[in-house]
Amino acid sequence: MRAQVKTVLAYVGAAVTLAIAVCVPFVLMGTFSKAVAHAGLHVDASYTGGAIAAAVTHGAYQTVVYQPVWPRALQQMDPFVQITFRPVAALPRRVLEAIDLDGDGQPDVRVSFTVPPDPRSRPSGEVVALNAKYAGFGMPGSRSSFSQLMVQSNGAVVVRVPLKEAGTLR
Amino acid sequence: MASSAARTRPPAFRSVGRSILLTVPVAMWALLMFAPTFRAPGRNHHLGASAVIVFMTTLFFLMMRTGKTYRWRRYFFVALGFLFPVGFIASLVAVRGSMSIPIERMVSGDTPFCYMVIPLLIIPAALARTLIFPGSILPTASNPHSIAVMIGLWLAMTLVLGKAWCSYGCFFGGIEEGFAAASKHAKIRKLDARLRLVPWAILLFVVVLSAALFEPVYCMWLCPFKAVTEYPAVHSVETAIQMGIFIALFAALVIVLPFLTKKRTQCAYFCPFGAFQSLFNRINLFEIRFDRDKCVDCTLCQTACPTMALSVESIREGGTLLNCMKCGACVDSCKKGAAVWHLKGTKVALKPERARLLFLYGAWAMATLFGGSILASSIATVIGFLPLR
Repeated sequence: MRAQVKTVLAYVGAAVTLAIAVCVPFVLMGTFSKAVAHAGLHVDASYTGGAIAAAVTHGAYQTVVYQPVWPRALQQMDPFVQITFRPVAALPRRVLEAIDLDGDGQPDVRVSFTVPPDPRSRPSGEVVALNAKYAGFGMPGSRSSFSQLMVQSNGAVVVRVPLKEAGTLR
Repeated sequence: MASSAARTRPPAFRSVGRSILLTVPVAMWALLMFAPTFRAPGRNHHLGASAVIVFMTTLFFLMMRTGKTYRWRRYFFVALGFLFPVGFIASLVAVRGSMSIPIERMVSGDTPFCYMVIPLLIIPAALARTLIFPGSILPTASNPHSIAVMIGLWLAMTLVLGKAWCSYGCFFGGIEEGFAAASKHAKIRKLDARLRLVPWAILLFVVVLSAALFEPVYCMWLCPFKAVTEYPAVHSVETAIQMGIFIALFAALVIVLPFLTKKRTQCAYFCPFGAFQSLFNRINLFEIRFDRDKCVDCTLCQTACPTMALSVESIREGGTLLNCMKCGACVDSCKKGAAVWHLKGTKVALKPERARLLFLYGAWAMATLFGGSILASSIATVIGFLPLR
């Protein structure tokens, strides 16, 4: 009797397995993806730039300042603040902006860059630190890292300014 | 000559008519899966999809007709292994101009998700709700292979296949299976059984280190397949060392050792994802068992197993080791019919062909859905390279 029950359960299990195989393509893109998205997971801030802190509109384009991103656990990364300028199509050829990164009303860095016509090219420019908490840089070029970069990405110019004084903005 | 060949041909396992009947659901599934491709314009994609439908259906028919699994599955798997990099590299070169992944793509979340990283995501996701991979959670126009889609696909395939993912789903394993098949005889026959433990050690090492460093350590330092997919742009000593490691591991584990041993050495002795997948063999309903009444301990199955998933002890106990990927090589090689497909909960060797069929329908559906779509896209890319009008 017990063996028969086990056999029946085994075939029911096999049928369920087959049903899963058949249903996958029809629920994957919609239901399952949305369920994962609502699970409260997020991609690490070293890739995304973190949460938005403030946004300033300059006519047709917007400058968005993000919250500082700090390394977690033993993460091999310097802390940084991300700034995005979007959309690229609305940016003037040359952008020069003094930006308040910590929300104290005083500019902390001066960002200047020239927008290249090719969306795959990197902008040429520099970041000048006006506050000792931040590290300025020239063209990062091949030395770009997650903490220090100036690139075009997703229709925006993304600039990441390294933080010199770890812990001061926590 | 012809009559001699006819005399030596083994008897067919199943009649043509019954084989066709059993293949009809697979053909219909393939047509259903590729219907959207035919609705969209694109001659090359239509040709690729048509080729894959015929290919997958024919292979399944031959599995039904001959009763052999490994022999025919291998054609699909090797084709997938060798064509995947072709299509993937071609698309990278078309979009980026090179195989290297620039930091812009990582920042924008455009990195296609690779299932190899799944074990590394678990601890950071559980403790910090953070995914340590530079992709996007939901699919986007520029990155349809998002984290959610790929994890969903992996989860479903794992429930259906268990560790058989490694022989029906993995788009890397076919490369080494191809190199293993290219060699007529194994030049290295004796392999230390303790090497089977290495993937577990690597799995533990990369999972712990990835959680500590908050980065996918295996992808950044150890994945042999970076050599034929995408890798961080080489611009420093560190990235040059990374690239050197990828190429050395690929050459040794995926080309040279499989050729010398006729085994899938990367899968058997290195791959942490394969070790992780082994755990799901515990919950998967399908397995290979040995009918001890028929087994003569000839160990032909052990020699045929491409991943060292059989030992003398396990055969005596009537089963495989945890890392069996259900490729069917042992069943195909057994001359006594002792190695059989088995549905857990049923009596061993009572209806092995029924268990095989139930497994194969699920496995081939998944293979057509996942590997088949990769094959079709890669074939379309290859056709695009041909000087056809």
